[in-house]
Amino acid sequence: MGRVFITGMGVVSSLGFGRKAYWQSLIEGRSGVSPVSLFDTAAIGRHVAGEVRGFRARDFMSAAEARRAGRCSAFAVAAARMAAEDAGLSSGQLAGERTAVVLGTTMGEANVLGELQKAWIHQGDDAVSVPKLPRYGTTLLPIHVARAFGSRGMVQTLPAACAAGNYAIGFAADQIRSGRADIAVTGAVEIIEKLEFAGFARLGAMSPDVCMPFDKNRKGLILGEGAAMLVLESEESVVRRGARPLAEVGGYGLACDAHHITRPHPEGAGSITAMRQAIQASGLTVDDVDHINAHGTATPNNDAVEALVIRTLFGARPVPVTSIKSMIGHCMGASSAMEAVACVMTLETGIIPPTMNHETPDPDCDLSIVAGTAQHRRGIDVVLNNALAFGGYDAVVCFARPGCLPRGAGEA
Amino acid sequence: MKPLAITGVGSVSPVALDWEGFVAALAAPEAARARAFATPASALPLDKHPAARAAEVHGFDANALLGDKGHRNFDRLTKLLIVAARRALESAGVKKDGAFLGALGPDAIGICSSTAYGSLDSITELNMVAELEDPRYINPARFPNTVINAAAGYVSIWEDLRAPNVTIVDGNCGALDAVLTCETHLAHRRADAFLVGGGDVLSEPLYVAFQKLGALAEGEQVWAPGSPESTGLHLGEAAAYLFVERLRGAEARGAKVRAMIAGYGTAFEPPTHEGLLLNASPVAVTRAIRLALDDAGLAASEVDVVCASCSGLSRYDVAELYGIEQVFGTEVAVTVPKALCGEAFSGSSALGMAAGVAYLEGLAPSPLLCGQLPSETKVVVVTAVGYYGNVSAVVLRRG
Repeated sequence: MGRVFITGMGVVSSLGFGRKAYWQSLIEGRSGVSPVSLFDTAAIGRHVAGEVRGFRARDFMSAAEARRAGRCSAFAVAAARMAAEDAGLSSGQLAGERTAVVLGTTMGEANVLGELQKAWIHQGDDAVSVPKLPRYGTTLLPIHVARAFGSRGMVQTLPAACAAGNYAIGFAADQIRSGRADIAVTGAVEIIEKLEFAGFARLGAMSPDVCMPFDKNRKGLILGEGAAMLVLESEESVVRRGARPLAEVGGYGLACDAHHITRPHPEGAGSITAMRQAIQASGLTVDDVDHINAHGTATPNNDAVEALVIRTLFGARPVPVTSIKSMIGHCMGASSAMEAVACVMTLETGIIPPTMNHETPDPDCDLSIVAGTAQHRRGIDVVLNNALAFGGYDAVVCFARPGCLPRGAGEA
Repeated sequence: MKPLAITGVGSVSPVALDWEGFVAALAAPEAARARAFATPASALPLDKHPAARAAEVHGFDANALLGDKGHRNFDRLTKLLIVAARRALESAGVKKDGAFLGALGPDAIGICSSTAYGSLDSITELNMVAELEDPRYINPARFPNTVINAAAGYVSIWEDLRAPNVTIVDGNCGALDAVLTCETHLAHRRADAFLVGGGDVLSEPLYVAFQKLGALAEGEQVWAPGSPESTGLHLGEAAAYLFVERLRGAEARGAKVRAMIAGYGTAFEPPTHEGLLLNASPVAVTRAIRLALDDAGLAASEVDVVCASCSGLSRYDVAELYGIEQVFGTEVAVTVPKALCGEAFSGSSALGMAAGVAYLEGLAPSPLLCGQLPSETKVVVVTAVGYYGNVSAVVLRRG
């Protein structure tokens, strides 16, 4: 039992590769949204996304690794290698039974399945590519990452839709605290795939052009893709190798609305529970929270409910809130992991990235939105990363500057 | 691991629509197996797959079991999971006729549910529409089914379970890994009880995939889980949940403790060649079992039965049995529940634990593959072997 620290982070995003490039773009308010090039969107009626461009798997992987991995796994391995390098860990140090790999996603290698099914639907059984078949399983995501490092411990995928990153990070931290692992490579990954894109469009959830979180005129979400991986270590491991912790993982909260498969509970019941749990499990009160990185999808229902939840817990206190989905889109399963990286960078730098496209305040979302320009604030010690998801999932993780949480935070 | 109480079991399988029927089938495995495979699976068109041998849950009438409203857009897995969940909740004395009985309410109960290929049939259904008609014709009410965790989400909605809902994907190992998820969240008091298990269903694309990979025993080919002579596996489908809670909680509410979960272990061994994806690893089997035994504080000699994952894929079965032998020697009783109704991935690992509960409650371990029947069963190890070198094991002991 004990503290769990983040010692390295890696990112594959529409705003660049590596946490520094990603962060610089976020605080400058750049947009990663562009016309979709991965597939033809003509019949779908929506045409832009936060697509990752210029990614070459071979820049991060051997030829053999690239051959056996789909685009989703390649993102995961690339981000994981960047995270390990950021943590100053060699593959040898991550090898063995004491390293866990816990990843989140929504649909995993959906494009591998999409290609297989397209061939099968149009040309029949004989057209199905046998070498491609074993690449589909969502199980494979952590296995590819484990193989990249020679890790032989737990390999687990938690497909918790748009809260998957928080699910994975929290669970990985639990495993270190319980002594089942010393180090965990964790985070989440998602790619844009045609069926997913068309499905969100059919749900009427997608904006035609821009993502405007908490804005009165918000039009819906913009899909995105990417991967964010974090190296989590026990306090003993950090001390033993003299690593520099970037942040501490506090407690986290999970709940289920049990209300509707796609819409949040109208009073935010589960979300309030999860946020309260995350704060209490960290040994804190709401007054200790300095910033919330919101789920902020820019869908009418989600933003209003999220605002209600924050107001319910924080009252009139103007805790600064931001949604980076305004820049990278909604990266679905990867989103809360990508937001976790932003949370840690905020703790490191004291800078809160802006919510772009927030122009007209919405009385139903009367939060202290960091709109348009990044804010530099003193004394940001504790941040919450909020996530909601299909299935009524609510997940909140607390991160803190090293040394700012009471001992015992996050423990059972 | 601090031992956890199993106070309820619910299952839906090709041999029975409930757990009691599944237990009866375990007691008479040959007859049950014959019944399970007697009727062709409706998911596999006979004209396209005349040699298919697969076990479907026949006679599953969602309207009869769930009522005739509210589940029109659910996929098959969701319906199977809801029925298994409802039965586990009733079996645990938590709900009756859809109503909570008292001690444990909606906020106290969560779900740790696993699936390997859970949304595959829904993705196929919508891809058919997108490819053969137009993406604009995708039914938005069925789109959520393409998201892997939707099935478990619907279980929470249907049964009003508001504590954490977690879906785990780890191939064949999923339901055993759900045990760790449950134990973790109970230790952190994020809930007082969980439905633990999972399921998978038959679908034509899944069948075609396994057929193309040469993994199936078709027609008159030999299907014999645990035998090196087996030429492949038969696909099946199933859903099962255990109702798991802290022992003190179970005692406080006067629940009957059916069995205890005492330990969990998992291991991963990659293939030796960089270019390969699949791996049958006896080393991982041995390590996962030993970790589970350590977690339970038990010695190998205290184990009476190993409920194995053998499916008929001989390469994997041989590796698993070798790994088991490395830990237990040759005398421990090894059972192969998949011999009843085929490979149902997460459904099978959940049924494996359900079988373990039956052995601990007095059923003679069956179907027996090898070893000696114990005079009584006090400790069962359940194993699950994934295709990529991942293996998990759970230790159950008498309540």
